[in-house]
Amino acid sequence: MIGAATVSGRSRVSVGGGGGHVDFATLGRAPLRLGFGSRRVTSRDLQIVEATEELLQEEVPEPEGVAENVSLLRGFNATIPSAEKSRIRRRQTRNVDTPKLGLKRLSLGARGLLGDEEEHDGESVASEDDVVMVGRSERNGRGRKGKGKRKGRQSLSAGKTFGIDELVRQTHEIERDKENIHVRRALISNEIEEISHKIEALDAIRVKLEGDLLRLQEEELELDDELEGVRERIEVEESALQPSRSVSRTGHIAASSRRRKGPAFLPSEHDELPPGIAFMSLESHTTPITALDFSEPYGTLVTASQDDTQPRVWDLLTGEEIGRLRGHRGTVKCIQVEDHICLTGSEDGTVRAWDLRRVDEDEDWESGDMFSLSDVVEEDESVDTSTNGIREESSTSSRPSSAVPRDGPCVRTLEGHTKAVSAMYFEDECLVTGASDKTMRQWDLNTGQCVMTMDILWAISHPPTAAPGTALPAHLVPGAAAAAGTFAVPTPPYADGTWEMYQDFVGALQFWGYALVSGSGDGAVRMWDMRTGQPHRTLLGHTGPVTCLQFDELHIVTGSLDKSIRIWDVRTGSIFETLKYDHAVTALQFDTRKIVAATGENGIKIYNRTSMQHSTLMTNGHTRPVERLRYMDRYMVSGGRDSIVKIWAL
Amino acid sequence: MPTELPYAADAEESLSYDELEVLRLQYQKELAQSHVTVQTKFNYAWGLVKSPLREHQVEGVRLLQEIYRAEPARRRECLYYLALGHYKMGNYEEARRFNALLLDKEPANLQAQSLAGLIDNRVTRDGYIGMAIVGGVAALGTLVLASVIRRASRK
Repeated sequence: MIGAATVSGRSRVSVGGGGGHVDFATLGRAPLRLGFGSRRVTSRDLQIVEATEELLQEEVPEPEGVAENVSLLRGFNATIPSAEKSRIRRRQTRNVDTPKLGLKRLSLGARGLLGDEEEHDGESVASEDDVVMVGRSERNGRGRKGKGKRKGRQSLSAGKTFGIDELVRQTHEIERDKENIHVRRALISNEIEEISHKIEALDAIRVKLEGDLLRLQEEELELDDELEGVRERIEVEESALQPSRSVSRTGHIAASSRRRKGPAFLPSEHDELPPGIAFMSLESHTTPITALDFSEPYGTLVTASQDDTQPRVWDLLTGEEIGRLRGHRGTVKCIQVEDHICLTGSEDGTVRAWDLRRVDEDEDWESGDMFSLSDVVEEDESVDTSTNGIREESSTSSRPSSAVPRDGPCVRTLEGHTKAVSAMYFEDECLVTGASDKTMRQWDLNTGQCVMTMDILWAISHPPTAAPGTALPAHLVPGAAAAAGTFAVPTPPYADGTWEMYQDFVGALQFWGYALVSGSGDGAVRMWDMRTGQPHRTLLGHTGPVTCLQFDELHIVTGSLDKSIRIWDVRTGSIFETLKYDHAVTALQFDTRKIVAATGENGIKIYNRTSMQHSTLMTNGHTRPVERLRYMDRYMVSGGRDSIVKIWAL
Repeated sequence: MPTELPYAADAEESLSYDELEVLRLQYQKELAQSHVTVQTKFNYAWGLVKSPLREHQVEGVRLLQEIYRAEPARRRECLYYLALGHYKMGNYEEARRFNALLLDKEPANLQAQSLAGLIDNRVTRDGYIGMAIVGGVAALGTLVLASVIRRASRK
């Protein structure tokens, strides 16, 4: 320090720079700084000074947790190297001088290593503090007698005494060391806790990121579908630009709605609807809904219910019933709508084709049932009894009553099956139907002729790969053992406890080109070649009748009364996945991203195929189990045992 | 519970080079693992602050500031150590501010009070030195002026 000569005259001292920074104190420090002139103001100094301002603003909370228990200083004293000092010292006090034993060389030899180093003689114990050692044991070497026996060899500690002071000091040191250990334990536990929290936080972030990845995958699948849809539209619009193309308009309206992949055309208000909520309910039926289909979102919907021979036609824009399709004599069990053409199959064994544009012409549906009954009676009288024939109803058929216009929407009737038609699928001009007479028929819609009949019963007893003439395979459903007779299997109870007798032998079918896939009451899914009419593969796995089915280029998805949905690989026939539910599955539809299924509960189940998550749609939903459903893009129609049809935004 | 703090005298005794080296190695090992515990950082920082070399003290204060920023629970103790560090370096202004903040929180803390006293003493002493210098400079200045005037009037 530079010696200070106090100036007596000036007693005024400005302390602690109140106003300016230049005051006597700073001036006083200047010589100090000049004295050690080589030191420059480094960036670190500036950094510190700048930081001070900011730090002083920060809040200083009460210390808690570890900070309260173990102050930094204590931690310091517990963990610095010199904390070990006292322990080392004590150990050294217990070192005993013995003549060289050559322990190191011994141990090296025992381990098989060469002991090269010279043992240094007399490595002194370098104890830092004064160690009071009273007496040394020197008897080890002298205890030997001529015989070589070591008699009276004393223990190493025999000759040593420490002295009370030393021992007391050691106790204090040991206690301090124990406290240090306590401190270090607290520190480490705290660290471990902090790290656990960090790991948890990181894990949560990882899970979220994985979820994001799944969502991206889903979006990609959606985009793929959209691309296909747009490409199809390109083809359609191209063909529209070339009037020379003689594609019959009636046959090729657009891709079949079942195979169309891209997003549908929806009114802009549909986007504002909250997803997963039924926003429209159509109540008109009085019995459980048995079939439904619609042409496009906000287009025309046709629904049929039990014990009602007249499916109803609705306008989905308004939610109003436009008309009814009169003609069938039994419950309508399956419906397919493509644009303005509607095909229905019913328990009376016939399939009817309807032109939905002509539903308005049939005006007397409102006027009660009596007319329809009389109409039916009159139809019976003029029935053509050929089994494979077709009947065309035209406006010029001979009818006594001329007050009622006779050309209703029914365009054609296809007769041929002997029992209820329970499943059907048509595309362009080709229709395939499945009925409880255990056959499937292929029809040409232009002529109305049945082109081929495929006998499932024959296929069961002549499985393509098994030895000919064998009995029915044992693993098939017990109800099918009586396959020769009537097929009837009790369904497992729905969520509300009701059950019924399931009698549809052909639960579902779909075809594409020449490939036909059918699901039947024996639990088998069969793949047929429609050119030969023979099944070339049977997929076994379901233990109950198959009720619903859909396939695309990669997968076949089937649902059955055995409460499961199975996803099969189209090329190999192996099972990808089995989804188990609590009740029988009665309807399903899938795309690349999800499977929507009616599984015997009030809510509609949706299975997300990318994230493998299940969810249920229940808001404003059905009050009895859902039985039928169909969706296009983000628009879904469902019908249940409560006789209500609900429309959902997905 | 009152914070346990060392008296300023403790900061004047420095650690041996070996000990500081051990602390530095420990700190850098944990830095390589990118998980530095507060205790290690403090050990190293405190060892640096105790050292007589100014660069060490600067580094020590910087580390203490990092701890201050990162660990709200430790801030109260850090106030004291930061004040000590600045006091050793000669930044009495900052030292006083940190110490004042600590005294705000714990008026009864003995070490903080003693540090406040020490800072005040140093500041007054520097003030005296400053005064001395100013006086000396003034005296020299008058002498020079007087000789110039005398020379001018003599001419």
